[in-house]
Amino acid sequence: MSVEQWSRVSTDAFNVALFAYIAGMLGYFYHLAFRRPVVWRIASLTAYAGLLAHLVSVVTRGIAAGRVPWGNMYEYSSLLSLLVVAAYLIIVEGVYRLRTLGGFALAFAVLTMAIAVEFLYVGPGPLVPALNSYWIKIHVVAAIAGSSLFALGSIVTILYLVKDRFERRAATPPPIMGGAVGLEEAPPHFEAGSDEPVGAASERRGLLPSAAVLDRIAYRTIAFAFPIWTFAIIAGAIWAENAWGRYWGWDPKETWSFITWVIFAGYLHARATSGWKGHRAAVIALVGFVSLLITYYAVNLWIVGLHSYAGVS
Amino acid sequence: MSSATASSPRVTLLQSVALVWRTLRSMRTALLLLLLLALGSVAGSLVPQVGTSDARIAAMFRDHPLRARIYNQLGLFDVFGSWWFTLITALLLVSLVACLVPRTRALVRNLRTRPQPARELESMRHYTVRHVALAPDRAMARARRVLRRRLYRVAGSNGSAPQSLAADKGLAREAGSLLFHWSFFLILVGVIWGKGTGFSGQATIVEGQTWTEAHANYAGQIHEGRFFDEAHTGIRVHVDSFTATYRIPSGIPEDFVTRADLYDPDGRYVKTVDIRVNHPAAIDGVKLYQFGYGWAPVIDVREDGRLVASGPVVCQQGTPPPGVSPLQLPWDCAVKLPSLRPQVGIQFRLWPDSRALYALLSAGKAMPMLTEYAPVMTYTAYRGDLRLDRPQSISSIDTAAMRRWTSGVIGAGQSVQLGRGLTMSFPDLRQYTVLEVKRDRGLWIELVAAILILVGLLPALYTSRRKVWVTAEPDGSGTVLKVGGFALQRRPQFEQEFARLVDEIARSSDGRADEGSREKVHTT
Repeated sequence: MSVEQWSRVSTDAFNVALFAYIAGMLGYFYHLAFRRPVVWRIASLTAYAGLLAHLVSVVTRGIAAGRVPWGNMYEYSSLLSLLVVAAYLIIVEGVYRLRTLGGFALAFAVLTMAIAVEFLYVGPGPLVPALNSYWIKIHVVAAIAGSSLFALGSIVTILYLVKDRFERRAATPPPIMGGAVGLEEAPPHFEAGSDEPVGAASERRGLLPSAAVLDRIAYRTIAFAFPIWTFAIIAGAIWAENAWGRYWGWDPKETWSFITWVIFAGYLHARATSGWKGHRAAVIALVGFVSLLITYYAVNLWIVGLHSYAGVS
Repeated sequence: MSSATASSPRVTLLQSVALVWRTLRSMRTALLLLLLLALGSVAGSLVPQVGTSDARIAAMFRDHPLRARIYNQLGLFDVFGSWWFTLITALLLVSLVACLVPRTRALVRNLRTRPQPARELESMRHYTVRHVALAPDRAMARARRVLRRRLYRVAGSNGSAPQSLAADKGLAREAGSLLFHWSFFLILVGVIWGKGTGFSGQATIVEGQTWTEAHANYAGQIHEGRFFDEAHTGIRVHVDSFTATYRIPSGIPEDFVTRADLYDPDGRYVKTVDIRVNHPAAIDGVKLYQFGYGWAPVIDVREDGRLVASGPVVCQQGTPPPGVSPLQLPWDCAVKLPSLRPQVGIQFRLWPDSRALYALLSAGKAMPMLTEYAPVMTYTAYRGDLRLDRPQSISSIDTAAMRRWTSGVIGAGQSVQLGRGLTMSFPDLRQYTVLEVKRDRGLWIELVAAILILVGLLPALYTSRRKVWVTAEPDGSGTVLKVGGFALQRRPQFEQEFARLVDEIARSSDGRADEGSREKVHTT
């Protein structure tokens, strides 16, 4: 097949994945609201099918370009959303056996992919010399993996903040009503045991899993991402030493990846500090998420620096 | 001031030092400093910085002089070298020391002492009683084996009944955390040592020329460390050729290669290298990186047949306006002839691909110049005073004290009469390469520190501290085992871990756990 044909396959598979994710997202949200296990099953299968198509898209893109398929912003965004979906399916559905959060993870993937295809798309092409190194396989993969896990952790953090606020309100009943604690009973179609791990029985209330569970997932995911991000920065420094003759030069990308690192380091420390646990730590994680988005979008598109090879003109 | 405080100033001084120390030790302070560090870095990425965006700083001084002066006073144009950024970093490091020293001491103490026995296993968060058919000795041995297999440190009291043991694991968590944090000091050592004793500079070398690594040959483009011993290597670099290849017609660069022969300080040939982006060359502890490139036309000027200037002239480019690629821009260079009376300066504008000039003149279209094609230069000659006593640019002429004399066009291989006996010829167009030349002896220290940071981070985040105690009391032919434990991290997981641990310890030789075992597992 020719470059054009491979490229066409990649684009088609990308669209299939995008629509599968949209369908899956709707299904997950329906399940979140009405608890139909059948709908969840279909949504989950759709997400897996989308993931498969997405994988095909990334691989064929690499074949079309004749290099690793993460050389510009479109490709990076594509792989990032693929990893977010994969991380969701593995960590949240696989390890924590939660079925209600899929809509949020897929929504993030859909948004990232829509931005990628709408604003960042470029055809497959060669790499500029500065990128043409085996370090692109190490540094960029680590950066994408770290980013996707940070993103997933941050999505769960947002849900945690919502749920936490909700739980606190429920815990302090309005004085006139009196004893409103039991108001938030499980919805009628709730499938017992499907959403919380063992021992969280008392927290099965409302649409989302309990704040404690959400907090734990957010923390574990971010703690998983942090060493990967650290490694990405180190690998980037080694690469910069090879390519530009200095391992650190406060280039905007370096600076922002450092800022992101510092903020998530702050988050990990805050969780071990009394008075900062829970709510405040979660806010720090969200600041880190914003910083991550700036590191990726703003630095590539608007701030001039050595990393300005987004491939978008 | 009251007499009490006046009479004991030493105490108050000590107290305030202690207060500062306590404040620095607290995690809150560390958090605050981390966030300040992040904020400072944000400023450093948004405000143009010296060295990377000098043109934008100059523009700001021109357009918003007051704002630029305020920024300058606050060090915002050089955030990462400013006193306050250094102060934040220094405070963070001091706070780190204040925090790490007692923690390291405690860890050493912990590592030296064996797991401590406990009383009142019944009140532990996790507590189970099991009947096993083994004798107490063998049941204890089994418990010890099971715990050791799970990487617990086990200490036991032998002999006296009831037999008991204490076990713990997960000290790697604290050790890893300490390793992670201490490694930042190692990075600091590497940076100070490496930057302090090293240098980095840029060498501009035209094809066919040989360059010697010495302070004077960097033309000011060098930075030497504070503890640099002034001993430049004296290695020589002969640039054979420079090649830039582009995709046609997109103009996306494909490769930049400098082919060079390297010689040791005594002039002995060492090797031939291809220096390209991502592939530096190394010799004598010095690394050579592909940094930049440009065009260098060979220009000879004769006065009545006698050479007054000869050789390649390094051309430079201005900053392209928005939307224009540097490849579309012509190159500027200058020849200065101070020996003539009056002095003569010739300003050139080089078009390495003359088709771009014609396209611009005939159709007003900008065209990228990817290769050399019938190169052509426009020139303007000036007469008067070159003002060489002032700072000079190599690619332009200070015409303030000069008068325009003559101008024209010269193509490669041509020569033109300027008048007054001056002849100028343009026999050849060459390229020059800019190599970043660098010595940094701290790199390996920083690499080791980076590896230690990762090595420390993994157990610090992923291992957890657990403590388990077991006692065994004889009961008829069998034994009553009491197992208690608690976890400092990942408590929900320990519940299952503990249950499995107890199952394995209590599995008697016939594989049957006692029916009447009493379990008490607290849930949180």
